Parts: sequence; structure tokens; C-alpha cells
Amino acid sequence: MACTLSLLGMVLCWLNPTIAAPLLPGLDFTGGTQIQLERACAPGACSALTVAQIQAQLGGLTLPQEGQDRSPNLSSSGVQLLDAGKTVVLRLPALSPDQGRAVVDQFSARLGPLRTEGTAINTIGPTLGSRLLQASLISLLVSFAAIAAYISFRYNGVFAFLALVCLAHDVLITCGVFAWLGLLRGVEVDSLFTVSLITVAGYSVTDTVVVYDRIREQSKSLAQLPVSEQVDVAVDATLTRSLYTSLTTLLPLFGLIFFGGSSLFWFAVALAIGIAVGSWSSIGLAPTLLPLFSARSAR
Amino acid sequence: MGRQQGWFAFILALAISAAVILYTNGLRLGLDLRGGSQLTLQVMPAGAIKQVDRQQLEAVKDVLDRRINGLGVAESTLQTVGNDQLVLQLPGEQDPSRAAKVLGTTALLEFRAQKPGTEKQMQGLLTLKRQAESILAATRPTPETPSPPASLLKAADLAKAMAPLGIKVSPTASEADQLDQLLNEVNRRILSLYGPPLLTGRDLTSAGRQQQSSGNSWEVTLGFDRAGGEKFAGLTQSIAGTGRVLGIVLDGRSISEATVGPQFKTAGITGGSASISGNFTAEAARDLEVQLRGGSLPLPVKIVEVKSVGPSLGAENIRTSLLAGSAGLGLVALFMAVVYRLPGIVSVLTLSLYALFNLAIYSALQVTLTLPGIAGFILSVGMAVDANVLIFERVKEELRSGNTLIRSIDTGFSLAFSSIFDGHFTGLISCLALFFLGTGLVKGFAVTLFIGLALSLFTALTCTRTLLRLLMSYPGLRRPTNFLPARQLPSAL
Repeated sequence: MACTLSLLGMVLCWLNPTIAAPLLPGLDFTGGTQIQLERACAPGACSALTVAQIQAQLGGLTLPQEGQDRSPNLSSSGVQLLDAGKTVVLRLPALSPDQGRAVVDQFSARLGPLRTEGTAINTIGPTLGSRLLQASLISLLVSFAAIAAYISFRYNGVFAFLALVCLAHDVLITCGVFAWLGLLRGVEVDSLFTVSLITVAGYSVTDTVVVYDRIREQSKSLAQLPVSEQVDVAVDATLTRSLYTSLTTLLPLFGLIFFGGSSLFWFAVALAIGIAVGSWSSIGLAPTLLPLFSARSAR
Repeated sequence: MGRQQGWFAFILALAISAAVILYTNGLRLGLDLRGGSQLTLQVMPAGAIKQVDRQQLEAVKDVLDRRINGLGVAESTLQTVGNDQLVLQLPGEQDPSRAAKVLGTTALLEFRAQKPGTEKQMQGLLTLKRQAESILAATRPTPETPSPPASLLKAADLAKAMAPLGIKVSPTASEADQLDQLLNEVNRRILSLYGPPLLTGRDLTSAGRQQQSSGNSWEVTLGFDRAGGEKFAGLTQSIAGTGRVLGIVLDGRSISEATVGPQFKTAGITGGSASISGNFTAEAARDLEVQLRGGSLPLPVKIVEVKSVGPSLGAENIRTSLLAGSAGLGLVALFMAVVYRLPGIVSVLTLSLYALFNLAIYSALQVTLTLPGIAGFILSVGMAVDANVLIFERVKEELRSGNTLIRSIDTGFSLAFSSIFDGHFTGLISCLALFFLGTGLVKGFAVTLFIGLALSLFTALTCTRTLLRLLMSYPGLRRPTNFLPARQLPSAL
């Protein structure tokens, strides 16, 4: 059910002409310039400034020319207002450092004083963007493969396969949630999102391994029982610790979500979702699938 | 018990040395935490070179190192990344545009003589160039005139100038864009009137700058080596008195065109020195001087990533992550103490040791701490607690089945070991994948998580066990009710 919803979200994202990818790609993958500005006023006491106003001003900027390239037109840039209008985030086509500087200077001249110590400019060239995307996908696949190899070495092929199924399930649902967030709230995925996926994958396997380890350990003493009952006993015995281990990992993440500031917010959310889902799949999904597959391999 | 005390002394010694390391070395903070700029430069293949290799990357780095030294930026670091990228970090620098300008251009300087028989064409092109440049300068915002008029020309005049050059003008382009287009075309035509480069930046031994005797503008002075001096003399002799120009070309743009007087007809300009007076500002002259001294880049570079973070934003990042970290850890500590009682408190103690060791390792290995790195640290704390949970659950289980306390603790540790090890090992695998395949910030996360996981194997299995065993030597603490509620104990005990 959750998987279907996730897939649906990603398909909808892909069909959406403005996104045309399973997830809404952020600056890291598309390339571009993001400028964060802090206005010199107390939060709440800033003069009103609307997104449309800023966009209009951006469209009128003249930028220094860079080499042979035409300077880009900024009128259709993304603008976001944070902290009651105190912080302004601009999403622009990739600019040179000179041009970025010019945007900040002219913005400051036209839309009121800025605190320069609070400015951040981040530019990622389009070629680097596609490279980052490639590197992210490769590191995802390599880590999945390496984990599967290790599990099949320590346990057996069926365990490794099921661990991979769980892992794919956790990663899929995390992606699905972000596809929906991208569709509905415009949440973008960046290279930190890939990091969170890989961490979720590692963690999901860790969780699953605890249950498997128990099944293997008692398979000697409970050998006379059918596999499904062996699994029940193992899940029963490990239920509390599975919940507790997830909880102790979620607690620091909640710290990051509530107090960690905007730069790590979605990263922590992705990790929290993945770990919550991973804990369910290691208790609910992996053990239920095991009898199905062991029965087949025994036959 | 002697063995436990030995371990305890060892752990204590480790803790003290960790504190000392941390105190003396401090932590290296990334630019996102302390403020500053970072530029990523990609070396582009050119000419016969299709694929950039290590050696060429080092050659480019040498040149860039010299240029950075010339700029005189404090504390900057330039590192190679992979096979074709360089990362320049400028701590404390908020405006990377100057560094970008100086580092990002090839700075290939060429002296080229105008071909004979092209005098008339050149005259027309140079006039056009001067006009376009002066109009552009007047429409550019300066500190004195922050908002100059956007347009100074009649559209028809501009179109008349463009037409003979064969430039198609899009009706929506601004005047500045059209003039830029015009200048590009004029430059292309001027270049086609030049002969081959007879003298290049390689023949230079020195570069300097001086203010011109008239006006505010600066010129860049050049000193040639012996061979270069002879070539320069030959070059100037060939055009002396003819009215043809000597073109000085920088990175494919003609930056200065000079005529040579008839008095140099016999020997050319000798003495092995020259100056470029291309209407430079003080800063532009200094930048060119730095570039020429450092030499031209063997391969062109492109700036693919620029990050700059203001200092107060960095401080804000430190503050929020400290808050997040302590809130998260506080919650975990509370949870452990409530659920696991005495061993829970022991685990909180070992976790504090764990955090201390982690930071000491960052400090000793000079790991640069970035925002994702801090996230990795916080997450690794969460995973380190997992190991304790697995152990204590096992201990409880043994107690419930009627084992004695000491025995339960020992069995708990040995039975939990294999799942702890497997779990940590898969985590380490993910970290390795992230470290070797990821880039920049991703690497920072992988490093701290890797250190955290490896360390947690040690602290969970050694520190927790030692502390717990040590406490068990006090009879007052050796009560199963310190481990789980009385009603869960088998009545026999």
C-alpha cells in the first residue's frame, strides 16, 4: 500500500512537466546559484516585501558580462521569504562570482540594507550538477551491493535477498514521501538526500540483522518447530530492542529536526522517515517473508 | 577483578589523553561553520589532450599556487580532488569574485604583429572598438553613478554599426548586450588581421605595474628573458614606422594595440622590456601582474562551484547544531536512564566518553568538521546507543530466565556481540561507499559517521562492560532490581 503510494507519487512527479523526474531535483543536481540574504532589521519588524516585488526587481538587474556568454535574465527566478521576511532566498541560473556579487549589491541598493555577514552564495555549475547526480546513484548502488555481499557471506543468500527487499522497501518509501513533498510543497532533494538514503539503507540492514541473528541462533534449539514459528519466537524476543534501537536513533534526529536549523531540516526528516519505516520492515516485513522463501528453497 | 581495574585505568588514561589532544589541537571547522568562500575549479581538456590526468592537474595546481601566493590571501588552501578538480578554500573571505577572476583565466599572453596590407580595415575596427567601449563604460554602474542611463544610443545608429559586421540583432536584447555582441565580433575580426604569435608569456622573466604618467589608469610592465628580448626587438622592428599595430592578446582577446615609431626602424625596441597600457584600473593591473608572474595555465580551468558563507551565518550554524546535538543527546540519556536504570546510567557515562573520544579523533586526524559532518556525529551517537540497547536487553532476558547477575551480564555481552558487529559492519560499508564515491560535504558526513561507528564498537563492548563490572564489585549496587523492575524477576531469586 505504502509502496504503491510512493510509486504513484514518483510517477506523478515524472509526469509533471515542470519536474519531469521521479523526485524534484535541487540545486546540487540541476546546477544554478542560490543566494541567501539577511535583511538588517529585527524579525517581525522588517518592512513588508513580497515575492512578486523581489522578482520584478531581479528582472531589472544588469549583470556584468562573463566571457562570451550572455548574462542570464533573472526575472523568472525563485524567491523564498523565511523568518517573517528577514531572510530572503533567491534561486537563480548559474552565475559567476562577479555576477553573484552584483546581485547582492544591487539588491541591497534597491530593497533596503542587508547584513553582509549573513549572506551566503552557493553556485553549482550545470556540469558539476550532473556529475554529482551520477556519483550519488553509483554510491547508492555500490553500497547496496556491498551490503548484500556481506549478508550472504555471514548468513545466506535468502537472508541477503530479503535484507535487500527490505532495504529497497525502505528507500522506496522514503523517496515516495519526498516525491509527494516535492509535488505538494516544492521540497527539493539534494546530495544530502542521497546520503540519507544510503544511511537509511545501512540502518535498515542493521535492524534486520538483529532479527536474523536471533533466528539463526535459536535455529539449533528450536529446530523441530516450523520456520514460521521460529520466526515468531525471534520477532517476539527482539521486538522491544528493535523498537528501542529505532527510538534511540530517532531521538537525536528529532533534536536536529526541531533545533538544527533550516540547512539540515529535510536531511533529518528523510533520515527519520527512513529509520521509522526501516524499523517496521525489519519487524513486520522481513520475518513474514522469510518462511515463504525458506519453504521454497527447502523444497 | 584485577583485569577490570586494568581496563578501567586504560580507559581513564585514554580519556585524559583525548581531553589533552582536544585541548591542544582544537577542532578544524569547515567553511560552512566559520564563514568563508570555496571555489571548485575543473580543469578542462584542450587541444591534443582529451583526458586530464594527475600530472597535468599538478601542473595546473603549481601555476594556481603561484597566483594565490601573489594575491596574498591568508590561510588559503588549494587541494586537488579526483583527477581533474581543484578546490580552493578562502576562510574568512566573503567575496570570492576577485580570486575567481585571477584563478579562472588561462592568462595566455601573446604578442602578434598585424599582417601587411590590412591597415584600412584595422583602422575602422579599432575606431568601432573604442566607441563601443566608451559607451559601455558610461552605462555601467559605478560608485559615483550607481544607476546610469540604460541607453545612450539611438537604436537606428546601433543597427547601422552592426549591419556591415553581419550581426543579427534580436529585438529584445538590451543595448549593453548588443554592444557586447558587437565587441565580440570586432575582436574576432581584429584577431584575424594579426599574424601568428611570435612572442608569448613564456618569454617573460618579470611583471610589474605602475601608474601612467597621465591620468589615473595603470600599466603593466614586462621584462623578457634574452631570447624574448631579441624576439621583441625583431617583432617591433618589422612594423616600425609602417602604421601597422603590435597586438597584445590575452586569452584570445586583443587587449592593447600599439604602433611603433619610425625611430625603431633599424634595431627594433631593445632592452628586453615593454609595458601594456590597456586602460587598467589599479586592481586589474595588479591581477594581470599576478597572473603573468604565475605563468599561464597549461590547460584552461572552469569554475564549477562557488560557495560563500557569511561569518554570522556560520556562527548561527554552530549554535543550532550544538543545540540540536545537546537536545538529542539529552533525550537519549533520559530514555536510557529511565528504561535501563543502573546500566542505563552507565551507558550515559560511556556515551559521554564516546563523544569525547570522537572529538579527540577529529582533532588528532585533522578532520574538517562541516554541517553534514556534525549530523554524522549526532547520528553515530544514536547508533552507538543501539549497541547498548542490544546488550542490556540481552542482560534483562538472562535475568528473567533466572541467571545470576554477573553471569547475565557476561552472557548478555557475548550473545549481543554478533548482531552488534554485523550491524556496525554494514554501516561501515555504507560509509566507505559514500567516502570513495561521494563528493565534498558528503565525504564529511561519511568520515564522521565512519569514525563514530568504529569507535562505538570499542566503547560499547569495552567501556560499558568495564564500568559495569567495576560497579558490580560494590555489593550495594549488585542488585537485580537495579537492572529491571522486581515484578519481572523470577521469584526464586
